[in-house]
Amino acid sequence: MILLFLVSGLFLGWSLGANDASNVFGSAVGSKMISFRNAAIIASVFVIAGAVIQGEGASETLGRLGSVNAIGGAFTVALAAAVTVLIMTRFAIPVSTTQAIVGAIIGWNLFTGNPTDSRTLSEIVLTWVSGPVLGAVFSIFLYFLLKKIKRSLQIHLVRFESYIRQGLIIAGAFAAYSLGANNIANVMGVFVPAFRLEDLDLGFFVLSSARQLFLLGGLAIAAGIISYSRKVMDTVGSGIMELSGEAAFVVVLAESLVLFMFSSSGLSDLLKSIGLPPVPLVPVSSSQVLIGAVIGIGLYRGSANINFRVLGEIAAGWVTTPVAAGLLCFFSLFLVKNIFSIEVGYDSSLTVPGSSLQGYMTTEGGKSINGIFRNILLGLMTAGTVAATLYFTQEARKNRELRKSEEKFWGNLKTGKKKPD
Amino acid sequence: MALFTRTTRNLIIKIDEFFDDIDLGLLVFREGVKAYLDNDMQTFERHVLKAEALESNADKLQRSIENDMITQSILPQHRAEVSTLIDEMDEIIDTIKSSLNEFYIELPEIPLSLKKNLLSLTEASVSAGEELIPAARAYFKAPFTVREKLLKVYYFESETDRISKSTKKTIFQEMNELDLAQKAHLRYIIHHIENISDNAQKAADLLSIMAIKIMM
Repeated sequence: MILLFLVSGLFLGWSLGANDASNVFGSAVGSKMISFRNAAIIASVFVIAGAVIQGEGASETLGRLGSVNAIGGAFTVALAAAVTVLIMTRFAIPVSTTQAIVGAIIGWNLFTGNPTDSRTLSEIVLTWVSGPVLGAVFSIFLYFLLKKIKRSLQIHLVRFESYIRQGLIIAGAFAAYSLGANNIANVMGVFVPAFRLEDLDLGFFVLSSARQLFLLGGLAIAAGIISYSRKVMDTVGSGIMELSGEAAFVVVLAESLVLFMFSSSGLSDLLKSIGLPPVPLVPVSSSQVLIGAVIGIGLYRGSANINFRVLGEIAAGWVTTPVAAGLLCFFSLFLVKNIFSIEVGYDSSLTVPGSSLQGYMTTEGGKSINGIFRNILLGLMTAGTVAATLYFTQEARKNRELRKSEEKFWGNLKTGKKKPD
Repeated sequence: MALFTRTTRNLIIKIDEFFDDIDLGLLVFREGVKAYLDNDMQTFERHVLKAEALESNADKLQRSIENDMITQSILPQHRAEVSTLIDEMDEIIDTIKSSLNEFYIELPEIPLSLKKNLLSLTEASVSAGEELIPAARAYFKAPFTVREKLLKVYYFESETDRISKSTKKTIFQEMNELDLAQKAHLRYIIHHIENISDNAQKAADLLSIMAIKIMM
């Protein structure tokens, strides 16, 4: 039963995969530099890797904003965020999962009487503004650098495009990794305080409770990428602005750098150690960073016709999304608590030390939850490995056949030429 | 990744070889016409055969380049334009082959007084084509230099027009000793020679737009 509460988080993960994977590979797929299949496989693998390896930093920040201490509450918070994203997407309003989850957590804080840490909130809000701005700055700098290199080295167009394609794959993988690391907090962050599982020993790697949740969330994101992101990817390529291969590469690289910056605890610690202010580890909206990066390219090209309506819509999203998610969460919590009689959370300042509610929530399921969780994760990982092996075997066979038919065609052409008139 | 690099390298070689064929074809045409006007038929026939071989090789390369670009999904955003450019340039070598064949089959009688005009016409028309080749090569390596290189193509094309016009005027207004059939035949031959620079101009127009687009 407790596992059912995770469904809202998984749904949120699925919708994040369906929408945000297009921010990573949309321009590459839209410009036909990479096939959708390859993009989906690379994005899925790296999103999961990023979520599991580096997902904890941004998740901790969300925990500071509001530590949802009941599974029912976590379910409602994630559901409210997911429904907000769904409704706003339906009405074509630019929406960010990050802003929706932040609004929903504040809604939970208000409902349960927990205080909202204003310092953390301002840290988060500041990154909503600085994310797109940094995206623009990075893209201008990288585009300038790339143009300079291209001009001075005079690389052949065919070779340059081949480098760009390889670069797009690497940058896309990095962006997917950063997306997983940064945005997994949106998907599973609220469940972390309310869910404590036994460590899962995979032999070569031990997964903590949070990482098991992140792995499951990562798999949900991957499912969203594979099942539903194709259409979005196809339209993103030409949707915002028609991008050349090199511009697409710069945009993806800039986006991944910004996402990585806001999720890397290593980078943050490094800055702290040399006396600089640390980078806040906060989930940022990949869509808005992407738009910032595209606008950066437009500014570099000296394009006068930047669509200020899009900028206005982003700014409006900073307010409307969290407010809508917060209100929806508040009323949903009211319904869940009073109609379904499910506990949605407590004021943590009222709990007795030593008898934390977290403990109550997590030991309830006991060992059976750990067993189910372990089996689900292992089953999904095995299925993924088998599917990937089958795919690559088939691809290799297809390439072999294509090569053979090519050789045959040109062989016939040569023989035909040798024939006397 | 190794396959990736090999395909890329092969395609670059094929594109370069295609341009070499056109360049060589222009040279063969100039020498062929010169040999015909000098009445050196043995050399002329050698050049006709050479032009045919070059044209056939260029056709094969054109098909192979287009095939590689599609099957290996190379240059997805520029593929259509590059294919059109190669097609336009292939027209030049096709014209070279067909023009030399016209000379070979029809054996036009060229009055001695027109020899200099026809040599100048051939020179100007071939030069327009020759100036196109470095511009086309530059598109792939240094697109910002394409437009300045194309200026020479336009110059030689207008020179060809000027020479052709004055030659035709001479034929029809001053050479009363020629009958109308011979005059028409000469006009037809001039038109063939002129075609090379016209094709070069068409390719230059396309190249000029392609260069702007790629620099944006």
